[in-house]
Amino acid sequence: MKIRKLLVKARSLLDAKERKSKVKKKSIKHIIKKLRKREKALQGRLKKEPSKSKSAKISEQINLTHAQRKKGLKVLKKLKNP
Amino acid sequence: MIRRLFLPSFFVLLAYGFWVSPDFNEIAAGVAIFLLGMLALEEGFKAFTGGVLEKLLRRTTDKLWKSLCFGVVSTSVMQSSSLVSVITISFLSAGLISLTAGVGIIFGANLGTTTGAWLVAAFGLKLNISAYAMPMLVFGVILIFQKARHMKGYGYILAGLGALFLGIHHMKEGFEAFKDSFDLTAYAVGGYPGVLIFALLGVLATVVMQSSHATLMLIITGLAAQQITYENALALAIGANIGTTITAIIGSLSANVDGRRLAGAHLIFNVVTAAVAIGFIYQLTGLVDTVAAWIGIAPDNYTLKLAVFHSIFNGLGIVLMLPMIDPMVRFLTRTLKPRARTTAEARYLNAANRGLPDTAIEAARKETLRLYDQASEVIAEGLSLDLDEILSEKSIEAMVTGARKPVTFDVDERYNHNVKALFAQIVEFVSNAQSTMSPSQSNELFALRAAGRDIVEAIKDTKHLQKNLSRYVASDNENIRREYDQIRMNLAVVLRQLDTVRRQGHDSSAILSLDSIKVEMKRYDKALEIKLNNLIRERLISAPMSISLMNDSGYAYHVTKNLVKMGEVLFSTSESALKDAEKSVSLDEAELDELAQEN
Repeated sequence: MKIRKLLVKARSLLDAKERKSKVKKKSIKHIIKKLRKREKALQGRLKKEPSKSKSAKISEQINLTHAQRKKGLKVLKKLKNP
Repeated sequence: MIRRLFLPSFFVLLAYGFWVSPDFNEIAAGVAIFLLGMLALEEGFKAFTGGVLEKLLRRTTDKLWKSLCFGVVSTSVMQSSSLVSVITISFLSAGLISLTAGVGIIFGANLGTTTGAWLVAAFGLKLNISAYAMPMLVFGVILIFQKARHMKGYGYILAGLGALFLGIHHMKEGFEAFKDSFDLTAYAVGGYPGVLIFALLGVLATVVMQSSHATLMLIITGLAAQQITYENALALAIGANIGTTITAIIGSLSANVDGRRLAGAHLIFNVVTAAVAIGFIYQLTGLVDTVAAWIGIAPDNYTLKLAVFHSIFNGLGIVLMLPMIDPMVRFLTRTLKPRARTTAEARYLNAANRGLPDTAIEAARKETLRLYDQASEVIAEGLSLDLDEILSEKSIEAMVTGARKPVTFDVDERYNHNVKALFAQIVEFVSNAQSTMSPSQSNELFALRAAGRDIVEAIKDTKHLQKNLSRYVASDNENIRREYDQIRMNLAVVLRQLDTVRRQGHDSSAILSLDSIKVEMKRYDKALEIKLNNLIRERLISAPMSISLMNDSGYAYHVTKNLVKMGEVLFSTSESALKDAEKSVSLDEAELDELAQEN
């Protein structure tokens, strides 16, 4: 490993702010993944649902999950390029 | 009276001893420095209990062998079975581990504590450990003065180890000098009477010092200076093992019934093991000789042979008692019964878990969940519905239209009787526990207290709602009845959805799904405005009815808002970083409004 790389690693380990931001990025990524999974599961349920009223409820949930996922991506982008 | 006289007489006796013999003075100072080291070591490890130890404990208690290993390893590292047993008791009383797992840890801790004897007998007496003690003390104290919590922790551990080394050194020196002026072996007693007398002395010494480690160090250094006979040293070690349970018993006094059961298990294990060891002391001595010869210990190296004895004796205890764990747990559960509690009495909050930050947070969370359970019953009854039915798969619409009985119970009385007292205990616990916490841990605890306040607010709003609801739930006017049914249905849906999310608290996407309740709430609020106008214009409801409906939908709105806010905090079992991320992904008011208009 080159010295510069080592220095960057050491700095990121010692810099509390950077460490915090790393943890935050990891957490947001985890949530985005969970939301994507939920959205897919809801879409699967929507395809199988015969009742119109229930389908409408599931669609609303999909919209909400989608909006949250989009917001998560925005937050992540901001964290990556502050 | 005797208690009051004990300490002054003890002081006078010690002072006389110091005056008569400077060597005794040095031994006693060695013990005092050693104990000071133990205290510093405990303080240091406590600095790390806000995470690592608790996480480890949670992961390593699903199987008995894992709890056993955890007990052995943690006690070997921390060199204090007392600290491990006190932490285990606080975990148990916070409901984080099972009694069987706790017993496993305590058994393991008994074996782990024998490593201390090995270390001192093998290295402590041969090396000049006081040479290491001085720099350790200096570096340790410098670290203690640092601001960062973990630095302080390292400082206490280093200074603690330094003090332990220094203490052992002084004990060793004291006994060496003592040997020239006074021969303690003249008081040696042979045979079974000797075993019993010295075992009792071991118990007494450990109860006074509250550390079997300190007693063991005294025994080893005394033995090395040939001031105690080998047989008497074995009996003292057996006694020290019984005496050490006193710390667990004291720790369990402030814990709940499970904590007391664990202290009971600790006492049973140590007393039974000691009884077997005393009964078979000569056979055990023979076994020690064989093992010592096998691993190459010289026949006259009594200090190492004592370490072998200590390990065999505690290992034997584990072999004997391991198959008895389940019957023992059953026996303790049968004998030590929880005292009858009212619903308003806290189950998880006690002084035992207040000092450990993560455990205190978990205890507060569990107690606030109990508060929510009480509150959801009150809210359901306030809506003239049954909570069990709400949480079942039944159709909510059928449930609401089928329940037309006016509410007869007094929400206020139930609030004062079941909820208020419990909330007061949570508030008191939070205030006392947060003093030992880091800022992020304090914030988590304050968030839980705020969740408790949200629950109380929701009950108060239900009380206001109940007055008119009781009147209109069986009204002849179909229109107003239908509107109040809608309010009841909405709140029942909220309770059901909260219950679903509660069961999936580990999943952040489930916690975030609570946003859908907020969207629904906004949509209903908007729709009601239009509906209310139509109802008044077409004279389907009277003006006083419309005012009641307006006010009560407002109360229902607040109940929902408070419950959702509470659910976001209380039901999430994620770590604090994930909780913060959940908050930043959750939709704000403007985004929720946009979604409510979209559909």
